[in-house]
Amino acid sequence: MIRKSLALAGSLMMALGLAAPAAFAHHSFAMFDQTQTTAFRGTVKTFQWSNPHAVIWVVNDAKPLATPDVWTIELTSPGNLTRMGWTRHALSAGDKVNVEINPLRDGQHGGALKRITVLATGAVLTSSLIIPGKP
Amino acid sequence: MRLVSRASVLLAAFVLSSGPVRAAGDFADRAPTTQAWAALATLPDWSGVWTPDMDDQFHQARTNAPPWTPKVAAEMAAMAADEKAGKPHGIFQNCLPEGMPSWMLVSHNALEFLFTPGRVTLLGESDGSRLRRIYTDGRAHSADPDPSFHGEAIGHWEGDVLVVDTIGVMPETYIATSEAVGVPNDGDLHVVERIHLAGPDTLHDDLEITDPHVLAAPWRTTRIYYRHRGRKNEIVEGECLQGSFNEGHDAQGHAVFAPVAQDQGNVVPGLK
Repeated sequence: MIRKSLALAGSLMMALGLAAPAAFAHHSFAMFDQTQTTAFRGTVKTFQWSNPHAVIWVVNDAKPLATPDVWTIELTSPGNLTRMGWTRHALSAGDKVNVEINPLRDGQHGGALKRITVLATGAVLTSSLIIPGKP
Repeated sequence: MRLVSRASVLLAAFVLSSGPVRAAGDFADRAPTTQAWAALATLPDWSGVWTPDMDDQFHQARTNAPPWTPKVAAEMAAMAADEKAGKPHGIFQNCLPEGMPSWMLVSHNALEFLFTPGRVTLLGESDGSRLRRIYTDGRAHSADPDPSFHGEAIGHWEGDVLVVDTIGVMPETYIATSEAVGVPNDGDLHVVERIHLAGPDTLHDDLEITDPHVLAAPWRTTRIYYRHRGRKNEIVEGECLQGSFNEGHDAQGHAVFAPVAQDQGNVVPGLK
């Protein structure tokens, strides 16, 4: 319920042009279904490069609704992302992207990022929730 | 740097390596000598950044479970079932330090070692207080150390193996097998570690964990780390609590952190 409220608040804040909520403390990743993949095309609303988990909010372009269909997509930490080749400038608001995520098990519009493609440049960035093992 | 004789380096190396403990005050209060700095060169090379082998952690959770007491075993089974069902318990969601021994058992994040005379320091990424001071200056444990998240750690070198004895850990600090399965140690935790290179870029932390409140017997386990070099692998600042705030602006237009509600689909531990 709190989660739903948070998602609603996030949508509202985004609609008002405000920064989206962070709210990603240090936690388990078991709420993501890592056996499933959801993919869609969208527009980056916000890319938040913050600890303990970076977050991308993406508007699903397939559903042009009065209230935008905003997906909250979580990544690992900036330190781990840097080791995977990311930078804090990897994405910008307005970027058209294809995203692949492990979705939330409860069906809400969010997930853990697997891969994102920036359509204008073809740049592909991948992410995993845990850092790769043996180098 | 001034040259020092090999004999004096060896003598200082003996001070670094001998152990397990000396009478308190032998070395702890002395300014380090040139020889003591030079003797650091005789220690094994643990430079670089070390990341944990998560696959091995998951494997050990399945094959080398802690010998929990029956009561705690039932609690852990329930937590594991909740995690499997997608309702993880957020045992570290408060962003307090994972502390000992959980940092060494379940962290997803990198760490580094610093050697200075009389001390080995572990610095970790993620929560801002992820820091262990391991004293190798010959001191003994305090009679009654103030409890802390990482406890009082006294180390000594046995050849290329750093042996660390840790007591004085807060009872609220978890013994965890994942970020969603674990139990507070409830006090009287004792951890003995043997940290050593197991290959050119592989480090093992062999832990023996004793806790009369939640473990029926000592638990022996190993955490594996791999070395990385290069700037992209350097440790970066990582404040866990940052996730509890939005980046915003106040009425005067200054950049400020604004608290936000917390929930990530984790079950937050409650009080009875």
